[in-house]
Amino acid sequence: MKTKLFKFSVIAILIGLFVNTNSVAQDNKAKDFKMLYKFTTTKQADNSRLLEVSFIARHKKNRKNKIPIFDAEINFYNITEGENILLGTAKTNKKGLATLTLSENQSYFTDKDGYINLKAVFEKTAAIKLYEKSISVKDLMLDLNLEEIDSVKTVILKAYTLDSLNTKIPITDAEVIFSIGGMISNMPIEQATIEDGRYEFEFPTNIPGNIDGNLDVFVSVEDHEEFGNVIQKKTINWGNFNKKITKKENTLWSDAAPIWMYIVLTVLLVGVWANYAYTIFNLFKMKKEGKILEENIENQI
Amino acid sequence: MDLENRKRELVKEFSPLLLKTSKWSKIWMIALITIILIGLYAFILQFFKGHIVTGMRDNVVWGVYIINFIFFVCLSYSGAFIGGVLHFFKTPWKNSVARIVEIITVLSLIIGPIFILLCIGRLDRLHYLFIYPRIQSPITWDIIAIITDLIGCFIYLYLTFIPDFAILRDNSENMPKWRQKIYKYLAINYQDTKSQRERLHKITRTMSTMIIALAIVAYSVLAWIFSLTLQPGWNSSIFAPYFIIAGLYSGAAVIIIAMYLIRKYFKLDHYIRKIHFIGAGVVLLIMSLLYGYFTFSEYFSRWFSHKTHDINLLETLFTRYFWKFILANYIGILIPIAILFFKKLRSIKTITIAAVIAVLGLWLNRYLIVVPTLETPYLPIQDTREEFIHYSATWVEWSLSFAGIAAFILFFMLIMKLVPIIPMSGIIDQEREQKRKSKKRKK
Repeated sequence: MKTKLFKFSVIAILIGLFVNTNSVAQDNKAKDFKMLYKFTTTKQADNSRLLEVSFIARHKKNRKNKIPIFDAEINFYNITEGENILLGTAKTNKKGLATLTLSENQSYFTDKDGYINLKAVFEKTAAIKLYEKSISVKDLMLDLNLEEIDSVKTVILKAYTLDSLNTKIPITDAEVIFSIGGMISNMPIEQATIEDGRYEFEFPTNIPGNIDGNLDVFVSVEDHEEFGNVIQKKTINWGNFNKKITKKENTLWSDAAPIWMYIVLTVLLVGVWANYAYTIFNLFKMKKEGKILEENIENQI
Repeated sequence: MDLENRKRELVKEFSPLLLKTSKWSKIWMIALITIILIGLYAFILQFFKGHIVTGMRDNVVWGVYIINFIFFVCLSYSGAFIGGVLHFFKTPWKNSVARIVEIITVLSLIIGPIFILLCIGRLDRLHYLFIYPRIQSPITWDIIAIITDLIGCFIYLYLTFIPDFAILRDNSENMPKWRQKIYKYLAINYQDTKSQRERLHKITRTMSTMIIALAIVAYSVLAWIFSLTLQPGWNSSIFAPYFIIAGLYSGAAVIIIAMYLIRKYFKLDHYIRKIHFIGAGVVLLIMSLLYGYFTFSEYFSRWFSHKTHDINLLETLFTRYFWKFILANYIGILIPIAILFFKKLRSIKTITIAAVIAVLGLWLNRYLIVVPTLETPYLPIQDTREEFIHYSATWVEWSLSFAGIAAFILFFMLIMKLVPIIPMSGIIDQEREQKRKSKKRKK
């Protein structure tokens, strides 16, 4: 226990030193910090579920002084009426984040209302008290379809939950965001509220996509009190990316050099080599002349 | 008949130079061959083990080899330039130095590019330069310029040799058969007739003009390899003329050294006289003043502009390379100026000393152009091992450098065994000219 206390305190202080140099002059005792303990869940596009805990200590006086808690062990549970079923354990990284990804095939116990009850627990240590957070989410299904209806590219979303008999129950009053995947962040193209479990809209025609014209269409529900975070994704060749047809110019950086360079080099080289040829031609003439002269002398003798 | 006798006399006079090899010459040649063989061993070592046996690493990819390359190639271009000028303007004292200049030109143009080959890590890809050339690249221009210039210099050198080959052919009865054959073949039936003489003069004159132009173009291209990059210390608009002046400076100095050695060891005091040294000394003085001016201008503008990377480079030059900088840019310029400026100080020995200082200073200047710039790259150095940051040449590089110098001297000696170092045809031409003038006066 003592070792753990030492480990957390020293590591937290050390990281704090690197994160914020102003904190050098401050008293970095655990009691001066308030622990920010957040638990979120996201149903990802591949239907796996991500459980994430953010564990950060914030200085009570200087609220800008935040120290991520490193190497803290977080236990994730599926809460049932009778017992807590351990789903897995993860340790916080240098950013104070502990994540656990549960595969698509993971089965959960739900309560009578169909909620999956999840809990993330940090066990008490001598320096830091016990922290736990629970969340309850319903398993939301987002059926994203991208279809061309009468030559109109249409995005159709069906959002529903399943009851115990696997009957689809359309959801109402949920905000969804449609976006296109990008290199740095997604670009929103539509924001809507689902009323009867269905929403459709015409896909914009001015999105280029990648070099092959493919684009990733995302639909997401964010921080919903009933469903948490849910993301769904589909890839489709709806981009109108066209290679810009530009006339290849002769430049310093293109395959072919500027025209003037060819001209100057050719003129110079032809001039010089022509002179060489002229010189060699004259040498041959001189040789011939000498030979005739030699022959004449020989004949005279 | 008089002319034929005079030719015979000249051959007789220069024959010992061609046919006899003194004991000291033999010792010299053995020493030079030994140095070349050590260099050859170093080359084999480098070829099989790679550049790890040299001091060149990721940052300093160019070392002593490229400095030797620039030095020899500049020497050649300046030789071509000076030779062309001597011939074109029919300088009165050209006969005594012209052949020395021409031989220096061709030999340094053969030795110089060998050093660039030693710089290449993947020699097996050398032919890519010819298969996939980029006309936009100064490296491509340089290859074209060197090849064109080398062929031009060979032709020019040969043109100046033809009359002497003819004289030797006609007067080589006492020489070995192989020599007679060589002279006959190389003399291409030259009989010194009026039409042949005029034709030869015409093409030699055209070639001399061409050689001057070529030297300027090739010089500039060599300078552009550096100055067209954005590297601190290289990116300069005056680099091309600066290289031309520096080359002429080194060229004049090497010619003086060669004149001194040939005069002393081949007893040619009669032909290479003090007046030739004074003339060459004045040329060296003019070049040293110009070179000093360009050097000052180059460093002054860098210092005054106060660009971060230029200042870093200057700091390196004034700390790590302090003594090299002083030797190259103060002693290497000011001492020759001081010696050559005062008439009283001008003697054969002092002029030669000034030339030696100039050559050493200039070699160091080339070193300071190449190495410190590569040691202060724009991107931070990833690996901070000493040998990655700082360059120091290994024994392999030094032995190959000395092998280059040894090969230069050895080939020079061998060419001197083939043709007289003082052109006999030039002496005859001079005498013919004097006769013509005296006849005119009598009339």
